[in-house]
Amino acid sequence: MNRKTLIGFIHFILIAAFQIFILNGVEIFGYFNPMIYIWFILMLPTNTPKWLLLVLSFVMGFTIDIFAGQLGFHAAVLTLIGFIRPIFIKFFFSAKDLETSLRPSISEMGLNAFLPYIAILVFIHHFLYFTIEIFSLSEFFYTFLRIICSSIATILIILLFDYLFIRQKGKSTY
Amino acid sequence: MHNLIRFLKRYSYIFLFLFLEGYAIYIIAQNSYFQSSAITSFANEVAGRINSKTYSIFHYFNLASSNEALVKENARLKAQIANSYVKYQHKTFQYQDTIYKQQFEYIDAKVIQKTITKRNNYFMLNKGKMHGVTNSMAVISPTGIVGVVVNVSNNFSLVMSVLHQDSRPNVKNSRTKISGTLIWEGGNYSKGTIIDIPSSIPLKIGDTIITSGFSQDFPEGILVGTIKQYDKDKGTGFYNVDIKFSVDYNKLEYVYIVKNFFKEEQKQLTKDIKNE
Repeated sequence: MNRKTLIGFIHFILIAAFQIFILNGVEIFGYFNPMIYIWFILMLPTNTPKWLLLVLSFVMGFTIDIFAGQLGFHAAVLTLIGFIRPIFIKFFFSAKDLETSLRPSISEMGLNAFLPYIAILVFIHHFLYFTIEIFSLSEFFYTFLRIICSSIATILIILLFDYLFIRQKGKSTY
Repeated sequence: MHNLIRFLKRYSYIFLFLFLEGYAIYIIAQNSYFQSSAITSFANEVAGRINSKTYSIFHYFNLASSNEALVKENARLKAQIANSYVKYQHKTFQYQDTIYKQQFEYIDAKVIQKTITKRNNYFMLNKGKMHGVTNSMAVISPTGIVGVVVNVSNNFSLVMSVLHQDSRPNVKNSRTKISGTLIWEGGNYSKGTIIDIPSSIPLKIGDTIITSGFSQDFPEGILVGTIKQYDKDKGTGFYNVDIKFSVDYNKLEYVYIVKNFFKEEQKQLTKDIKNE
């Protein structure tokens, strides 16, 4: 097992555990449900093969599903994120960067590019998740408020963690 | 043929995506409400084991308040010990020398996983088939109503909380005995709504709401909450009543699963009518 695979594996365990045991129990006014497990997919190196991206998305989503007691929801939404991530990566990175293995993070991209990158994908993810979970338009404003609040919470947590743990250039330090 | 292979190779990840996405949606469709498939049962079993380990740590923090609630509940039960029995025979002599037949039995259980922040919330309990739990049994806590069992595996069971859009238990005002339906509109987990109470009968803020016993699941008289505010819906002639739940669902730890011995009999009665 090479070093990169090991780091990815540790990321997977830590992020999934944090989501399952800490964030799934968070309750603030019923509006904030941060879901940072999406960060695992967003931070994978730029040269990750597309098929691996999809499989990892599905596995991560399914892991969260099992512990949340609602099978399928997280897996479906996260797989879609894994599918559309290459489009955004192409937009935010130059062609040269795509060849090498860069981790999308503040140190690699700068806050000006990193923030819109995660903000867009997190919003898409949260929008789809809450829409599928409710599956009706009858409580549209309540749902929309939950989407906005949760997205902001997730983005802030990702920024904070990125700042705390991925500071070194090109290397992750756990 | 060569082109076909090239085509498949180029777009293989799209097929992979469609396959995984389709599979995820298939699981959602299979499990969205009753969650009764074998996959869920297995997943519950695995997740339940891990959750019960982690929750056993967190339980320590609430031990004091839980004990207090249990002591209170014991005191209350001692005071009204014949309450869960119905009068069975009116004759003074009989084959068996008891005039009461037990209708409800309670299985104690511990909450090992819960959600309260979603639109549809569930609890997982550490008792399952092996302990006599079956689907659609009611679940109550020392301080009030909790939900209905919707899925059972060997050692664990999944409870649809009253914080769920399909949960509609029948409740009544303990003072006026007028009954209505309890629903939850999402958001605040301490606030429920009662509909279908006719607005011709006056209400008071602070009135106690209890279960009516009309639905076969819940025994009569289980605490639900107190009226916080109400307004008349002029169009329908019914009240819209906001209540505060007596149970703090965020702190829920010990619950009772209610077994109704007469449920089949009661169900059969309604079924007979529907068949006619």
